[in-house]
Amino acid sequence: MKFNKKICLGIESTAHTFGVGIVDFEGKVYSIVNDIYVPEKGGLHPVQVKEQHVNHFYEVIEKALSEANFSIRDIDLIAFSQSPGLGPVLKIGALVARMISQILKIPIVGVNHCVAHIEIGRLMCNVEDPLTLYVSGGNTIVSAFESSRYQIFGETLDLPIGNMIDSFARDAGLSHPGGPKIEKLALTSTKYLSLPYVVKGMDLSFSGLYTAAKKLIESKDFGVKYSLNDVSNSVQETCFAMLTEVTERALAHTEKTEVLLTGGVAANKRLQEMIEYISNEHNAKFAAVPLKFAGDNGAMIGWTGILRYKLEGGHEISETNIKPKERMDQITIPWRS
Amino acid sequence: MEVLSKKMSSDIVKEKVIRKGAEANLHYGHWFGKEVIFKCRIPKKYRIEDLDKTIRRARTLNEAKALIKVKDYGVNVPQVYEIDISSSTIIMKYINGKKLKGLLNELDDIRKHQYFETIGCFIAFLHKNGHIHGDITTSNIIITDYEEIFLIDFGLHEYSDSIEDKSVDLHLLKRVLISSHGTDWKLCFNAFLEGYQNGYLDANPDECKAIIKNISVIETRGRYIKKEERL
Repeated sequence: MKFNKKICLGIESTAHTFGVGIVDFEGKVYSIVNDIYVPEKGGLHPVQVKEQHVNHFYEVIEKALSEANFSIRDIDLIAFSQSPGLGPVLKIGALVARMISQILKIPIVGVNHCVAHIEIGRLMCNVEDPLTLYVSGGNTIVSAFESSRYQIFGETLDLPIGNMIDSFARDAGLSHPGGPKIEKLALTSTKYLSLPYVVKGMDLSFSGLYTAAKKLIESKDFGVKYSLNDVSNSVQETCFAMLTEVTERALAHTEKTEVLLTGGVAANKRLQEMIEYISNEHNAKFAAVPLKFAGDNGAMIGWTGILRYKLEGGHEISETNIKPKERMDQITIPWRS
Repeated sequence: MEVLSKKMSSDIVKEKVIRKGAEANLHYGHWFGKEVIFKCRIPKKYRIEDLDKTIRRARTLNEAKALIKVKDYGVNVPQVYEIDISSSTIIMKYINGKKLKGLLNELDDIRKHQYFETIGCFIAFLHKNGHIHGDITTSNIIITDYEEIFLIDFGLHEYSDSIEDKSVDLHLLKRVLISSHGTDWKLCFNAFLEGYQNGYLDANPDECKAIIKNISVIETRGRYIKKEERL
């Protein structure tokens, strides 16, 4: 089924998700298909994640095309996650994208993963110029658009929030992903145990909090004076209060009128409630990106690829090297300047 | 709020809110005939009460103590008149002026240099006496009509003699300058460092150098920053 609209196939491959999304140049999403690596034990091992993606990329693309009812020949543009992420994993996405681009002779465009999270949020939640809190397993960033870039106003100085919660969950014997399980446990507790609360300006630190929480569940009082539910509740309350405080601080500083919550951790209802509360206090519109688009996915890469392509055209193959450590504030955003 | 409201005779009058900050509301008012600011740390309903109380109490006490102490080192800060822990309120002198954040873009380069040199000097006075401001931003610096410079908001103030903490303090300012005042940041930050070095000189020049050098070390610790892109 080919029609007059131009279509982009976006490939997300920065961490545990190999995702493909099909989007047209007006921002309509036709399909989102993800293959997510789940470790049997421990965390993400880059090489094992890579193996999984190598074995599954073909079927993910095929499924995305068939769900959207397109053939691969209908694709007009290919976008892939060029940065930041796990090196071996980024390479797979880049490789697949280059291959498709070469075979079909269509333009290719590399996309910064963090910028893509904000762009899909702007598209889906109908916000124009938001202050964004981007919280996931790999990133914890408070960002807003200023002087033609997505500037980083605050970020974690050590562990990303999702990583911290998942690590704690793992220590508590819960399987991956731990975030939703911790959220569920916390619901049944009202007890608060004091944990380190570390905010430096608009930056955050979670490593002390993680160690303290770990000590709580290793202590002889665990299971006697307090339960895992209580510790989960305390961890959530403390780290979300920290996130909310820096978001509020950044909101007061930038004076934006919209707040966007995105990333995998954005699915947490308690965090949504807290960020929504401060948004209301500052008369700002609050929007949490729906989980389908807030977690890593190919549609966000596709859409951001389209935005860049419309203004700057595609990249040369020689420009498609992966950049595992590129920060979102290093690149300019021509479509918003 | 009870304690304060009981005391609120005609001598102490809390009037209109002049600013809603991220963590506190600032009210304009009068205190025994003096123009004052009531800085009230308001309960944050998004966090649980226990945590909220602890944070507000600690920050109010800490800020008031810091304001009282640092003025002895020759740093311009608002004079504290009264502290009310039960309502997390500090009553302090009203500084009539404008935030540097709003002024900065209208200033000529000479003024920018002058202001930031003085600010650098003030921060050096704080640092060499073991005080960390904790939130040096252009929103927390006030310029009066007579071009006096005041440092405000010591809510994240800490006591520390470590080089690391002092560098972090400077690093935060640099970050704010880059993110909010893009094109000018270099001029401003260099002037700031000049003032900082002059202010620190008599105390311990080696330590001062180490602090400035350590800023770039901190920057590389930020996520994904490449060595050659260090500023």
